[in-house]
Amino acid sequence: MNNTADLDISIGSDALSLTLRGALNLQSVPGILDRLALVPRPLPKRIRADLGGVTRMDDCGALVIMELRRMAEASGGKLEMERTPDHVRELLDFLRLDSPPEPGPIRRARPDILTRFGEKTMHVVDQAASHVSFVGETTTTLASLLVRPGRLRLGDTISYMQRVGVDALPIVGLISFLLGLIMAFMSAVQLQQFGANIYVASLVALAMVRELGPIMTAIIVAGRSGSAFAAEIGTMKVSEEVDALITMGFKPAMFLVAPKVIASVLVVPLLTVFSNLFAIAGGLVIGVGTLNLTLNAYMAQTMSTLSIFDINWGIFKSAVFALLISTVGCFKGYRVRGGAASVGQATTSAVVTSIFLVILTDSVLAVILRYWRP
Amino acid sequence: MSAPVITVRGLTMGFGDHVVMRDLNFDIHAGEVFVILGGSGCGKSTLLKHMVGLYKPMAGRITVAGMDMDPDDDGAYRRILARIGVMFQGGALFSSMNLGENVALPITEYSGLRGRAVDDLVRLKLRQVGLEGFEHHLPEELSGGMRKRAAIARALALNPEILFLDEPSAGLDPISSAGLDALILRLNRTLGTTFVVVTHELSSILTIASRVVMLDAASKSIIAEGDPHELRDRSAHPFVRQFFNRQPGMEG
Repeated sequence: MNNTADLDISIGSDALSLTLRGALNLQSVPGILDRLALVPRPLPKRIRADLGGVTRMDDCGALVIMELRRMAEASGGKLEMERTPDHVRELLDFLRLDSPPEPGPIRRARPDILTRFGEKTMHVVDQAASHVSFVGETTTTLASLLVRPGRLRLGDTISYMQRVGVDALPIVGLISFLLGLIMAFMSAVQLQQFGANIYVASLVALAMVRELGPIMTAIIVAGRSGSAFAAEIGTMKVSEEVDALITMGFKPAMFLVAPKVIASVLVVPLLTVFSNLFAIAGGLVIGVGTLNLTLNAYMAQTMSTLSIFDINWGIFKSAVFALLISTVGCFKGYRVRGGAASVGQATTSAVVTSIFLVILTDSVLAVILRYWRP
Repeated sequence: MSAPVITVRGLTMGFGDHVVMRDLNFDIHAGEVFVILGGSGCGKSTLLKHMVGLYKPMAGRITVAGMDMDPDDDGAYRRILARIGVMFQGGALFSSMNLGENVALPITEYSGLRGRAVDDLVRLKLRQVGLEGFEHHLPEELSGGMRKRAAIARALALNPEILFLDEPSAGLDPISSAGLDALILRLNRTLGTTFVVVTHELSSILTIASRVVMLDAASKSIIAEGDPHELRDRSAHPFVRQFFNRQPGMEG
């Protein structure tokens, strides 16, 4: 198949004459358009195009005709087509080229700053409103489960308990162990100067159980499971699965949100306990290995430092964090509109919002604790 | 008859241990509108995905435009891809781009056209599928049928030699569907584009198809091949008769 085309251009005083030959298609048209752009301006009023030699032409070839018409109109004249073959005429009719498509870029122009500000404001208002209704719906659903616990989808809940809790054990264990190791190692450098090696055990235990254990676990759960909740529900929204649930008479809050929230609130505190134990084990390795502490001394110091209240407080905080992470993940998933890109945004937003809320809540709880038990 | 542009030899396809179709053999010739028929779930779309190299055959080979379909051979696969266009069942438009950008993507990537010419060509493509004026809409803002038509415009973007269409008229109103048939016939006649179409639309099949194959899930093989009018009038196979005449009752 011959894909080449020829263009002869001759510029007279009163007319620009062009002769087109060959196949006008995607291969040949870019070159022809480039040559037309090089024709010196201003153009004569008359533009004559001889199309007698055009053997094949597709919709891409029509771009040449459109460009010639534009050139003619720019100089106040009209394009005269000569010896137009039937197939070209037919194509131009089919494409209705007598009324050429609107000019202008295909890309959506970036709106001006005022429009963007307005859109952003509406978005925030909209989000706040849907947040309120989401929290309300989730709360009533969870409250109704207290009255009739049988309505909880137990199979789903157990499966989420496994995904959020059991599957996270290795990574939580590893990170906590290393964290305990680092804390012990860094504090030992200072405490050794005062001969206070034994307080390494206190520092690791207290810091982990009261603060770092719940926070680290929450951050890992937000990254692993909060994002997964948002992506799962978001994809279900895109593929109309959530709409299907609604029309089948299921409440999405009961079907999708409750199992995730309940599973998270149940297993994340357990994960935190696990995290604490591994961090203490990490500290122990440094204490016994490099600080000449005995195993018994280290453990005795750890036990005497920690009170039951500290442990319970850490576990309570962890449950609050789990509630935040799981509801934020589900909420962000619910907010997905459109397609794949929106799911990605929801996932990112779920993780960032969760971590922010976890730290914020932790600070608030710390202040409350300060006045509760001075 | 002209040389085959697609040959399928001894193709067995399936997933894991599950065989969908066994030992398929057929040719598709240049300039044909080749329609793949069959009941729901018999493997029509799977066959299409094998022909464009998205799935690997369990056995057998496929050649497209004289080259072996082997997605692992990057160079050869790209040469095949440069000559084909594919429209997927759900449209598969990119949700982060508007319709115009969806259609413009292959044009800016693979042609020498730049600037205003790309915009003009995109609008001509959308005009051909009846979507002029929707270039700034996002896919989510359109109905299913409109998305489908936009997907066809994107598949047409580079005027490929072979176009694979997976259920192009499903979800379209009869007028758009007839318009699409006209577009297929037009491209086929004027540019010689070869079409491989999976469809159920009886009226569409009888209008556009130059040849059909009918797949059968029960026997995992081709049960009929040829001109659709002849099959409708002469085939003795109960499933084929039922398909074309919409007779209730007998199972094929």
